[in-house]
Amino acid sequence: MNWTARDMDLYLQQSEYIDTAVVPLVGLGSEGPGMKQSASETEFLMNLTAFLEHQFKGRLMLLPPFTYLDKSDKARLASEWEASIADMPFKHVFYLTTDQTWSAEGIIGDAIWIPSIPLEHMDKKLKQSVLEDQVRQIIPVLTARWTGN
Amino acid sequence: MSKSRVSRRQFLNYTLMGVGGFMASGMLMPMIRFAVDPVLEAGAAGDYIPTSQKVSELTEEPVRVDFTYDQVDGWYESEVTGTAWVYKEGNQIVALSPVCKHLGCTVNWASDKEHPHQFYCPCHGGRYEKNGKNVPGTPPTGPLDEFDVKEQDGLLYLGAAKPNTLV
Ligand code: FES
Repeated sequence: MNWTARDMDLYLQQSEYIDTAVVPLVGLGSEGPGMKQSASETEFLMNLTAFLEHQFKGRLMLLPPFTYLDKSDKARLASEWEASIADMPFKHVFYLTTDQTWSAEGIIGDAIWIPSIPLEHMDKKLKQSVLEDQVRQIIPVLTARWTGN
Repeated sequence: MSKSRVSRRQFLNYTLMGVGGFMASGMLMPMIRFAVDPVLEAGAAGDYIPTSQKVSELTEEPVRVDFTYDQVDGWYESEVTGTAWVYKEGNQIVALSPVCKHLGCTVNWASDKEHPHQFYCPCHGGRYEKNGKNVPGTPPTGPLDEFDVKEQDGLLYLGAAKPNTLV
């Protein structure tokens, strides 16, 4: 499901089935090269999560991306985010990020790090197969957790 | 001189009324629109979409065929990739929509080892027979939708999705 009014209506009726939240973490770079890098990584992550949502529409809710800045206090953001998502009725929460610091330092427990691949020079076909490959690597992580309980 | 000019206040009144009227009509619209299944809407542009699948290469085993089309939603224009599961039944080409009739996940052919001749939905274990008929006792409540198909220059073209006619 997407974070839209129509999907939300369905979610509110079927929340026992749609038990998983997916949260893209997007870093906003603020000087020249950092901006380009951040744009490229955001493009990749948004494409990837859209594809994931398409495959698993009936099981997961794709939240709007949570955005942070270079100077953000990651530990504080993480605890705020985790606390408010814990208030939502999701059984499983996955944070998807292209920024290794989130997963490496264990700031967010369920962060899945995916290396960013620049999509801007790819044609549609290649782009799609690259994204499919990436999603195929994430699926086992999801299903392991789903079958775990 | 100022007589013929629309004063600022008047102008604001005009525009606000315009917006108000527009909003009133907007309240009726959603009820009509929701009646249409978004899956069925996708191909509703009417035309057939070409795929790169050669019809001569189709067999009785369902294969995945991708196709792309443009979709405009508000100001958000995007190129959408769609998928169909396509196989041959005698001389007839069958193309089924992969969208699960439970809550819309994408189903796969033969991805569940215990049921190698069925479509399987990874989200809540929904299953469908090869003709799209939902297996009772699994969450889906109806059969997979079917696409109109045609052959042109040896290639497969997909048309609008419609309720399953094989079940
Ligand atoms: S969405 Fe396919 S079984 Fe629930």
